[in-house]
Amino acid sequence: MIKSSSLLKKSADINSPYRWLILALIRAVAVIICVAVAVFFIIRIVPGDPAKMILGEYSTPEAIESMHHTLGLDLPLWEQFLRFVQNLFTNGDTGASITWGTSTRELIADRAPVTLLLIAMASLVAILVSLVLATLAATHKDRLLDHLIRIFPTITLGMPIFWVGLLLILVLSVRLGWFPVGGVGEGWTGTLYSLTLPAITVAFSQIPTLVRSLRAQMLEVLESDFVVTLKAAGIPNRVILMKHVLRNSALPTLMLLGVNISYLIGGTLVVEQVFGIKGIGSLLFSAISKRDFPVIQGIALYCAISVVIISLLIEIASWWLDPRTKGKQ
Amino acid sequence: MSKLNSFLRKPFLVGPLLILLLVFVAGCSGSKDTPDQNKGANPGTDADQLVNGGTFTYGRPASVNSFDLHNQITSNNAFAIDKVFEPLITFNSDGEIIDWLAKSHSISEDGLTYTFVLRDGLKFSNGTEVTAKDAVFSIQRHLDVGGPLAIAAQVASLKDQDDKTFVITLKEPYTPFISELTNFSNGIIPDNFGGVSEEEFFKNPIGTGPFVVEKWDPAGDLTFSKNSNYWQEGKPYIDKLVYKLIEDDSQAINQLKAGEVDAIESLALENANEIKQGADTTVVTNGSWVTEQLFFNTLDEHFSDIHVRRALALALDREGLTNALTFGYAQVANSLLPPAIPYNTNDTIKALNYDVNAAKEELAKSAFPSGFSTKLLIASGNSTRAQEAQIIQAAGKSIGINIEIESIELASFRERFFAYDFSAMLNSGQADSPEANSILAFQTDPNGFSKSYWTHYTNDEVTKLLNEGQKTLDGTERGDVYANLQQILADEVPYIPLYYPDILKGVRSSVEGLVVLPNGSLRFEDVHLK
Repeated sequence: MIKSSSLLKKSADINSPYRWLILALIRAVAVIICVAVAVFFIIRIVPGDPAKMILGEYSTPEAIESMHHTLGLDLPLWEQFLRFVQNLFTNGDTGASITWGTSTRELIADRAPVTLLLIAMASLVAILVSLVLATLAATHKDRLLDHLIRIFPTITLGMPIFWVGLLLILVLSVRLGWFPVGGVGEGWTGTLYSLTLPAITVAFSQIPTLVRSLRAQMLEVLESDFVVTLKAAGIPNRVILMKHVLRNSALPTLMLLGVNISYLIGGTLVVEQVFGIKGIGSLLFSAISKRDFPVIQGIALYCAISVVIISLLIEIASWWLDPRTKGKQ
Repeated sequence: MSKLNSFLRKPFLVGPLLILLLVFVAGCSGSKDTPDQNKGANPGTDADQLVNGGTFTYGRPASVNSFDLHNQITSNNAFAIDKVFEPLITFNSDGEIIDWLAKSHSISEDGLTYTFVLRDGLKFSNGTEVTAKDAVFSIQRHLDVGGPLAIAAQVASLKDQDDKTFVITLKEPYTPFISELTNFSNGIIPDNFGGVSEEEFFKNPIGTGPFVVEKWDPAGDLTFSKNSNYWQEGKPYIDKLVYKLIEDDSQAINQLKAGEVDAIESLALENANEIKQGADTTVVTNGSWVTEQLFFNTLDEHFSDIHVRRALALALDREGLTNALTFGYAQVANSLLPPAIPYNTNDTIKALNYDVNAAKEELAKSAFPSGFSTKLLIASGNSTRAQEAQIIQAAGKSIGINIEIESIELASFRERFFAYDFSAMLNSGQADSPEANSILAFQTDPNGFSKSYWTHYTNDEVTKLLNEGQKTLDGTERGDVYANLQQILADEVPYIPLYYPDILKGVRSSVEGLVVLPNGSLRFEDVHLK
């Protein structure tokens, strides 16, 4: 009681971090509720009957009617929505998949690890490559290398991600045989190996913006007074770069990566399809083509929740790292 | 670093080097021209060099989500069900009916009694013997369930005369029955599901087929292992068969090229020659039971007019369309019935052949002599259909019919044509069995659930001929009935047959003995991997 009243007191203060946190949490929950409602209704507006998808073109009207009943699609929309919400709260699930019979939560749980691993690998590749390119560009400002690196984002930003994936497959997998064309290999090493090309493809869409941001930040820091002082003090360039410049430039870039996480998730879903990886993305594609409502809703909802949670964590982390950013996200 | 910098400052060096690298990469492919391996079953060839065992990986665009043979129709499940369950009689790669689990069958002269004698020593994959009781149970369940491939014949009784003899008696003659029995949905399952619940049985199915389900993810891959109790001695030669889910077409082709799969189920016409000429890949083909067609909604204000339909048929150069779009993997269609099905009249029928002047004259007889505007519905994502649509559009323009192409996503496309919400559409029709009645009934019976394939085409003479064909015993008389029927359809054109596409499977050159059936399924029991 004492604790909560003191929390309330603290949150009443406009600048209090607690008030900020509570507001951020409320906002997150509101976003998730909106997504849940939107996802339920939008998918029902799209034409296409799941019963016909299951039974095929040659199904009889009686069979379709009985399938509607089995799936609960003959109920009024509001009752379907109530069931949907009830299921969400009791089981954390959007119901059993129409096509595969198993619960959506199980399907997603089966597919999630490979997608998460792909996102992690892609982020790692994106960060590492961006760091190297941005450092090279910043330290060679206005020289050929800088120009080349700055042209790179302009070109790559114009390339559709699936096309990059297809190109990599064609050259590195089909022609040269260096990487598997698709699927996920056996065991840890097999998995990491087969996810390398997809990870590079997803990273490709992230690198341009990261390089731009990091290069600009590094140039700003490189030209700041304290670096000039350090240089004057005779500290080697390498040490200044590693110890001071990178550290001071990294935060905004990490925040940018956080903001990009939703694009990263979207990109991963497309790339999974191109590389034949059985993750969340390919599950979503099949579910859409089969009008498998529960699965589409489940994936959209879980993706939305992860994006909201990640954004929230990044807001908290950046605020913790640099209190000046508080509430400015 | 400075050396690298100075090197990079010489674009005249970098450019040619990059080009050389690209040329090298592009040049890393060979080419060859192997003949189609077709009808693959060639187990006698090089028999000494063939090695048993190994895993055959087959890339398929959809996962298998049910083994309930009486409730399924789509190829994603049918082509897995037919590996586990087998019917009493079946068809070969030429579409001819052959005995399978039955060593012989006979039909009484009045066309009412069908007698099947089972092979000796026939066992289910769990080792129990197959008896006539199992056949009674299987067909009875199919009758009870109905399902999408319901038995249309009026069955009076099913009887196990003795352990090996199974007799079906009909209430009235229904000639297509024998060929319909070849369907996968008439596969034999153990009596009373072998003592387990229905649900449990179809999760772990037990049949007489060459393969048994080993590992199955309804939303992913399916692994079969060989049935050691299989009735064909020594077969299958491979140990495992994996159905690998690859939903993306280009991913499937790339996996085939890279040798990650041994064959792929879906190969588009435009990719066929690339795969055929690949260093390690080839194309296996067979004639299909499919007819690609332009369908008219006969309830539509324009296409209810027979002269409009005939005019468009005359304006369309079907031969040119087929040559331009199918890369030699199709035959021009004159009749609705594909040449791979008995009683087709493709060579003798009088079809409305390309003649623009005749087309104009025909349109002049219609209620819209100066032309009109209409829409052609197609499903998106099928480049061949998109091109067909453009050719049809041009044909329409030549006689004053202005056709707008409406391309929509497959699920919505189906929804639209099931609701008659279209004027004309492109689609194909496929027979389920080697029997004229199959596709004809599906596309001409306005009272059937398909309502003449959602064209609502109604013609009493056609309905009469259809019923006659179902009751007339096989022979020239039945042939005449279907010849008449096909000619009426060619004259009234509720649909314009365009071409009969071949079945194409992309296959690694190391595969021997693959059999392509005219329904699109494969037989793997004769397959050897080199």
